[in-house]
Amino acid sequence: MSDTPNQDPDLLAAEYALGALDGAEREAVRARAEADPAFGRAVEAWNHRLTPLSRLTGDAVPPPDLWARIAASTSTATIIPLQAPRRTLRFWQAGTAAALAIAAGLAAFILVRPPPPQAVAVLTPANGAPVLLAFAMPNGDLMVRPAGRLAQVPAGHDMELWALPAGAARPHSMGVLPAAGREMPTMPATGTRILVSLEPKGGSPTGQPTGPVIYSGQLRRL
Amino acid sequence: MHGTIALPDADRSASLLRDCAVGDRRAFRELYDMWAARLHGIALRITHQSSLAADATHDAFVQVWQQAGRFDAARGSAEAWLVSLVRYRALDIVRRRGREVGGYEPPEQADDSPDALTRMVGNAEGAALRHCLDNLDPEHRRVIVLAYIEGLSHSTLAERLHMPLGTVKSWIRRGLASLRGCLEP
Repeated sequence: MSDTPNQDPDLLAAEYALGALDGAEREAVRARAEADPAFGRAVEAWNHRLTPLSRLTGDAVPPPDLWARIAASTSTATIIPLQAPRRTLRFWQAGTAAALAIAAGLAAFILVRPPPPQAVAVLTPANGAPVLLAFAMPNGDLMVRPAGRLAQVPAGHDMELWALPAGAARPHSMGVLPAAGREMPTMPATGTRILVSLEPKGGSPTGQPTGPVIYSGQLRRL
Repeated sequence: MHGTIALPDADRSASLLRDCAVGDRRAFRELYDMWAARLHGIALRITHQSSLAADATHDAFVQVWQQAGRFDAARGSAEAWLVSLVRYRALDIVRRRGREVGGYEPPEQADDSPDALTRMVGNAEGAALRHCLDNLDPEHRRVIVLAYIEGLSHSTLAERLHMPLGTVKSWIRRGLASLRGCLEP
């Protein structure tokens, strides 16, 4: 692999950080940096030391659509199709995508359960179409149902629902989201931001979101 | 021409990374606006093609969003973290494709003259590295600067400089060892 097998590991980390390694040797060093924390730290230290060299390269304006690509790549993973809503309420029909989603959600909802919700949050990915609706019910439940194409949750992960009250700095967890719409405990106040983050199976270990927030929306009175 | 460069605010960048770690999209966008041109420039210098550089910059920002929680200001600056992400992605792309590239000529060869190296100063780490590079043998300095800026491997450097591979490897190792000795407190 290397012509000097007993070489100083810190210098090997330096050669990797510099970018001078190639092929199998580069892959082996990369794997070692991931497996061996001390070696990984040596690579990080060299990344840090050498970073000022990157200032010798001039800026270059990226293509204008780059942000849109990044936003799309960071909002959803694989997409699974949901059944299209069967009917919508007439008076909502001329509205925006969000209004249509609320209408569809309400229509389905009214068929199942008579008492109307008091407030609704339309949860969307960044710059995306509605994906989930969260209805605040008169009995204090928050009912969540799909309204669009929901991201596929990677193996070993769950979606976790969070409430960020208006003016609060940190959200509190409302539990791991079931695969289908279902009642969730504790109704948050109108104006609260409802977030869905991707978390390790069973929910965030820290009590705060640890993964990306994939959907969010504000709870508004109906 | 070769003044020091204005660096994006280090504290602001670190704070934006912490906000990204809890899913703040506005922080992510602000971080993009602060860093995209810089990171794209680094990727372009390594990949020599705008579309490949855009792929590297894209992948780096996706990683920023997914792994912002791993950034630890105690272990390195936001700049070092961001620059490393885009450099490794750009190196992955060129190493995977081999180096048959065209369509873009770098505006200048890596310039390791003392005047050009002034551009890297910017902050204390930059000043220290500049000082330590000044103290290297010129051959060692040249291969280190070329390898870093252009993302050239030992073997590509040897071809480019018409030097034996062993000599290039030895220059790089000796140069890096000297830098380490010089930079250690």
